[in-house]
Amino acid sequence: MAAAQLELRQVTKRFGGVAALDGVSFSVPPGQIFGIIGPNGAGKTTLLNCISGVYRLDGGDVLWQGASIAGRAPHRVAALGIGRTFQVVKPFASMTVRENAAVGALFGSAEAHLPPRQAFERADEVLELVGLAGKAALPVTALTIPDRKRLEVARAVATRPRLLLLDEVMAGLNPVEVDEALEMVRAVHATGVTIVLIEHVMRVIVGVCDRALVLHYGRVLAEGEPRTVLKDRRVIEAYLGERYARQQGG
Amino acid sequence: MLRAAFTTKPTEGGRRWRRLFLLLGGVVLLYGLLAPLTSLDALQSAGFPLLADKLWFRIATATAMFVVLASAWNLVGGLTGYAAFGNVAFFGIGAYTCGMLISRAHWPLFLALPLAPLASAAFAALVGVPLLRLRGHYFAVASLGVGVAVGEVIQNVEYRGTPVFGGSTGLFLPIFSVDNRDLVFYFLMVGAAALTIGVTWLVLRSRFGYGLIAIRENEEAAAVMGVNTTAYKVAAFALAAALTGLAGGIFAQWNVFINQENVFPIEYNVQMILMALVGGAGTLFGPLAGAVFLYMLIQFLSGSLPVSLDLPFLPSDARPVLAQVILGLLLLVTVIFVPRGVIDFFGGQSRLSLAYLRRSLRETSV
Ligand SMILES: Nc1ncnc2c1ncn2[C@@H]1O[C@H](COP(=O)(O)OP(=O)(O)OP(=O)(O)O)[C@@H](O)[C@H]1O
Ligand SMILES: [Mg+2]
Repeated sequence: MAAAQLELRQVTKRFGGVAALDGVSFSVPPGQIFGIIGPNGAGKTTLLNCISGVYRLDGGDVLWQGASIAGRAPHRVAALGIGRTFQVVKPFASMTVRENAAVGALFGSAEAHLPPRQAFERADEVLELVGLAGKAALPVTALTIPDRKRLEVARAVATRPRLLLLDEVMAGLNPVEVDEALEMVRAVHATGVTIVLIEHVMRVIVGVCDRALVLHYGRVLAEGEPRTVLKDRRVIEAYLGERYARQQGG
Repeated sequence: MLRAAFTTKPTEGGRRWRRLFLLLGGVVLLYGLLAPLTSLDALQSAGFPLLADKLWFRIATATAMFVVLASAWNLVGGLTGYAAFGNVAFFGIGAYTCGMLISRAHWPLFLALPLAPLASAAFAALVGVPLLRLRGHYFAVASLGVGVAVGEVIQNVEYRGTPVFGGSTGLFLPIFSVDNRDLVFYFLMVGAAALTIGVTWLVLRSRFGYGLIAIRENEEAAAVMGVNTTAYKVAAFALAAALTGLAGGIFAQWNVFINQENVFPIEYNVQMILMALVGGAGTLFGPLAGAVFLYMLIQFLSGSLPVSLDLPFLPSDARPVLAQVILGLLLLVTVIFVPRGVIDFFGGQSRLSLAYLRRSLRETSV
């Protein structure tokens, strides 16, 4: 197996007395699409916040290409080439779609940091990739929810990440939109980006992920090949409730 | 860049009005800029009519000063979205830097003047680091506190029983002796205003400007996209402070006398914010338009203009109160009905109409 691009070691995060993450460890080799699933409140978003520097860890370590990046400010994590989206979209409301994407190219990873003119060109490329090219000139307030999620991805991709963390970019989409979003993820992945994706939609996990990890109450419940993981009885219990697991006779 | 959230296609009639307004504004500004030149000795001895008297110079110079204050505030309050309520501290620090260097160290004005923005920026960078960690109301209140505290400290600092900065007596500067003194200070202040607008123009086009607006719109998203939010906020704060300090420095020599009251007036904090908001916070020319309009209005209402309203039933000591009330009402109406400032009507995007006001009301209410 290739050396890990991203590695978490015993990552712990507490809110008050409650451990939202309790000794989470896993590693992601470069080029993979790595899925994270888990019931509501399992700690998935908290995990992304710990990787991207939004939260400080209460324990453990995050390694990027073998070196610790725990405790780095978010913009320094972004500079390494780690991009992310937010589950609750956070667009820059007064800007157009194109300007939103351009901010990613103006800042982002050390390779991005383009001067304004090129940043806008890069923004146009990225909007093309996520299927928002026709709406570039619109104010973001005019976008539908699925389009806002696309924009969230576009902004992160515009930062030229080597690793992209996607937090439920397909939640709330209808099946057709999910298919489009899957295409988008594959297209981004095809440009050579490692992807860690949080998703509730099983079809997505099975459809695109090389590996999947199940979080439950802040702990790793299972990790492995997506189909195998989803058949795990503990996972079915955690996810769909004990009753459903019994009905399935698992 | 800050496009209106909702846009209406201007009608032919609307466009004609807008053109008329722009033309009028242009003529007023041009007159304002050029009329003072008629006071030049060469033109006077050639029998040219004097188009600007002493009072006019005072008002025009002060207007330019408020253009600096409002436009500089705009960098922090408008672009970055941090409601700084204590910017008058930078004005005062600039004034006292210039004042001390000229009156005590006997520096010439043009050597002392560049140090005023430097001192203000340095102070802003120092207090900015802890202050800008605070968000929303906390930042507003804390910055107000700094604004008040600096004036008090400067007035009251003593060393071996003698006040360091002139104490409550203040500082007297030697009169700057030069021909056409009024004209010199007028153009110095207009130059500072032009510099402030120019800096804003550059900022709006740059990576820095996009970073600031990203911070205003969503600080967390800006951070994970790679914006060094702390550095950017402090830089914007220091830049605003430098420009404000420059105006303070010019004021010190212009006014010849400075004390806590005239260079740390608390009401300036409110006035510069009002000007930026009424004109259009976050825009290039909004604060300029707001400063010119509101300063004239304030002077008119308080009876300092040659033209003034004479209300027989209004005792003269009630004038300032009336001025405050009208200003307050104006702010209220602006914030609720024209949240993007009056400049919004001149960008070719929106037109003043009942529908616009109704939409604004919907936008600004819960
Ligand atoms: N900032 C915070 N302060 C306090 N508690 C928090 C905070 N963020 C998360 N939590 C708590 O930590 C736990 C994990 O939350 P998290 O948002 O990571 O879950 P999640 O797996 O992303 O859930 P969902 O599927 O609903 O998005 C929850 O119990 C949540 O209430
Ligand atoms: Mg979540």
